[in-house]
Amino acid sequence: MFYSDDKKQYSVLNRRTFFLYLLKVSFFGIVGWRLYDIQIKNSEKYKTLSKNNQIDVEIIYPLRGKIYDINNKILASNTKVFDVYIIPENTKNINKSLNELNQIIKIDFSDRRKIIELSTKVKKFEKIKVLENINWSELEKIESNKLNIEGIFISQDYMRIYQHNNTVSHLIGYTNKPNREEVELPFIANMPNLEIGKDGIEKSFNPNLIGKSGQREIEVNSYGRVIREISRQDSQKGNDIYITIDLRIQKYALSLLKEHKAGSAVLMDINNGNILCMASTPSYNPNKIIQKPNKEYWDSILENELSPLTYRCIQGLYAPGSTFKMVVAIAGIVHGVLDTNTKHFCSGKIGLGDRLYHCWKNNGHGLMNVSDAIKESCDVFFYEISKKIGIDKIAEVAEDFGLGKIYDVPLPNQKKGIIPSRDWKKKKYDESWYPGETLISAIGQGFVLTNPLQLAVMTSIIASNGKNVRPNIIKKNNDFEFEKLEKYQNAIKIIKSSMFKVVNESKGTAYNSRSEIIPFAGKTGTSQVRRITVAERESEDFRKKEVEWKKRDHALFVGYMPVEKPKYAVSVVIEHGGSGASTAAPIAKEIFQFIKKLET
Amino acid sequence: MLNKIQNLNYLLIFLVILISFIGAAGLYSAAGGSYSPWASRHLIRLVLFIFLAVIIALLNIKYIYQFAYVFFILSLLLLLSVELIGVFGKGATRWINLFGFSIQPSELIKITIILAMARFYHDLKFDEIKRIKNLFFPILILFLPFALVVVQPDLGTALSIAMLGILVLFASGIRIWKFVLGFFVLILSIPLSLNYLQPYQKDRIFSFLNPEADALGRGYQLIQSKIALGSGGLTGKGFLEGSQSYLQYLPEKQTDFIFTLIGEEFGFIGTIFIILLFFLLISVCFYISIKSNHIFGRILSIGVGSNLFIYVIMNISMVSGLMPVVGIPLPLVSYGGSAMLAIIISLGLVLNAELNANLKKLHNA
Repeated sequence: MFYSDDKKQYSVLNRRTFFLYLLKVSFFGIVGWRLYDIQIKNSEKYKTLSKNNQIDVEIIYPLRGKIYDINNKILASNTKVFDVYIIPENTKNINKSLNELNQIIKIDFSDRRKIIELSTKVKKFEKIKVLENINWSELEKIESNKLNIEGIFISQDYMRIYQHNNTVSHLIGYTNKPNREEVELPFIANMPNLEIGKDGIEKSFNPNLIGKSGQREIEVNSYGRVIREISRQDSQKGNDIYITIDLRIQKYALSLLKEHKAGSAVLMDINNGNILCMASTPSYNPNKIIQKPNKEYWDSILENELSPLTYRCIQGLYAPGSTFKMVVAIAGIVHGVLDTNTKHFCSGKIGLGDRLYHCWKNNGHGLMNVSDAIKESCDVFFYEISKKIGIDKIAEVAEDFGLGKIYDVPLPNQKKGIIPSRDWKKKKYDESWYPGETLISAIGQGFVLTNPLQLAVMTSIIASNGKNVRPNIIKKNNDFEFEKLEKYQNAIKIIKSSMFKVVNESKGTAYNSRSEIIPFAGKTGTSQVRRITVAERESEDFRKKEVEWKKRDHALFVGYMPVEKPKYAVSVVIEHGGSGASTAAPIAKEIFQFIKKLET
Repeated sequence: MLNKIQNLNYLLIFLVILISFIGAAGLYSAAGGSYSPWASRHLIRLVLFIFLAVIIALLNIKYIYQFAYVFFILSLLLLLSVELIGVFGKGATRWINLFGFSIQPSELIKITIILAMARFYHDLKFDEIKRIKNLFFPILILFLPFALVVVQPDLGTALSIAMLGILVLFASGIRIWKFVLGFFVLILSIPLSLNYLQPYQKDRIFSFLNPEADALGRGYQLIQSKIALGSGGLTGKGFLEGSQSYLQYLPEKQTDFIFTLIGEEFGFIGTIFIILLFFLLISVCFYISIKSNHIFGRILSIGVGSNLFIYVIMNISMVSGLMPVVGIPLPLVSYGGSAMLAIIISLGLVLNAELNANLKKLHNA
């Protein structure tokens, strides 16, 4: 049965249907265009985004190379440490797990609260450190209970360790996190968390010791959870470094030095320049710097007025005192100012201009030749000859003997010292040189400043009959010869015989330290740290008086052994030690005797 | 009977099966190359529901016509009971357990709305449509389920019910000016309904406006789904090669976001292909609507076609960032029994309408 308006209704409905169809077409068009926009037009953008999302590159840090002494004894290596972590997602109740762990190893209540607080903030699978650097018995306890404690696991890491604590600390240095500038260094470019050498050999050999980083590509989901490892390139261990230090001598020397507040001892093999011992006291324990928390230890180091961080062997500058006299004598001989027959009379002082220049021996030494003057360390003799030589020629010879130089050895922060000359003073102070300053310089006082390593090098050059010995700290396998400074041959011969007398003849300043076991040669030095007043000089016994430690003279001794065919050269400096003869020479003797014992 | 089976619209059935197979492939990939847990169930449901749809197609349309309001009231009661369970028991829910099956009544109600509207306009003389009082009943049919779904709260479904109602009313031939008026009322009610929104729904809307601002929070899904789609490019990364979904970048990858997975693995070609299939399927519904000689069949078919259209457009707009993420599945592709059941049953009704296209009136069944 048809209604009259059926036709009308159907035509309306057809129109409406057609209109809806158009709506459908246009909406499908919009959606299609949108998909075109995302999948075709901007596809590259999303492809890049999708790659960033799924692949992470994780750096594998390399193991740092070890450091050995000349006899392959370990000085620095890496030790495994164990840290305890908890993964919140692996435990039903983090509080319970921590309480169970606490029954095995005490965890601070506040630490526990911090861990629980942290676990609510980080992602569930992120590990949280609970305990750091646990010891073996703790490790054992946790290992045996691990299955009972949910979410706990132990992770192994490496920490630098210095087996001999403060014995070689200055020389080797220590490692730490890089500072902002060091992060830019090429060899750590991609390893911002790497511990790098901050001083000494650790610093100089960073590029060798560090090794090469590896990396692994890991696929992660959007929550950062690792799904699988795509590729792995293992890291390369850093190179081991063998240094020339003989740990036995180093230890022994340090034990001798420790009887004094501050000082240093350098021992060199004159044939190859190897530094066998380079001890400095006071020193620090690098292990205590590495192990956190270290603030207390740092503060104690920084507050110590003797500055334990200073490596006195290369950073301590001292007036060389009478140990400088060899250089002056050699300059005199080479420049024809004196020979073995030249004699000067010492009355205890000489005058120049309106000033008096005193000999250490108030009554004077009487008539002196060069040999006696070195043996008894007569100042007046050197005043006399220096007037004739002149400061510039002394400076020239001093530099030939290695003084006032920074050596090309991988020891950071060497201090150069001062070998004064007319030019130097002009440049430094814009003043001309005064004749009196030559006299003061000739006995190693005044402007002259040297470090103990330089004194050892000077002594090595003398002992080796003028070989241009240079220090060496890295063990070398091939033998080599230093070139010989021919022009000093004759002069050195004279000087060496005088240095023998210093130790081995009565009246020699170091005669008290002569050794029955191993005869050696040398020269004492006593360097003033302050001007001696006229009043003090006139009081007869001013040198014997007990003076405040800080005002006492520095004690120095340089020497070599054996006397025939010398092999070792030494320099000993004891800060405020009083006199070289009384304090420094005995240490040199002990060291030489120790070596003799080692060799037999 | 045999005659009827022969005359079934096999293009429509083929399209349903093809789209569902694509869905199964996507679910297989989403599970990391495994039939369990989604793809196998999806296929089993497909077989069961197609069977059900054919049975529905073969029913006498007069029974369907007669029980149209009953179906509507039953589904409304189901929806209400979900609400009551939410109030008196287990907290907010969208599911009800019926004969051992978990069913989402809000999906079913869309079909019974279409049935009820179809019957109402079938019974109404054309010149009575313009009377204002005759708007009351269809609006009630729309408003009751809409209100119940809004308080669930299920913003996406509520929105799709509202749009479905608008399209069906439009298709039924009500006056355009009423239609425009109703549209304005809807627009004006948006600020009011914003107050009623849950905080998470507000978040969704704001994250839609600027997803990059909160890349790890609410905008996260949208960015991830755009990355998945965009990185597919023209031809896609290949079946099972989609790293995004494999790596769990995509939340709800097996339900509302399955389209992005297909877009990643099959590229623009794949997504356009699916869109064309849907376009074709909806066109078939429209064609059957035009073909029907009775209003019931007309409104039913165009209603079901429009319902599909709303699902498809909302889902793809949502995952491609054209509209906020509101939680609407892609018909026949997304995993989920209720929506699939509702869609295939509704298409069974359309098949039925086609078989009975030549009937004039259904009153005296």
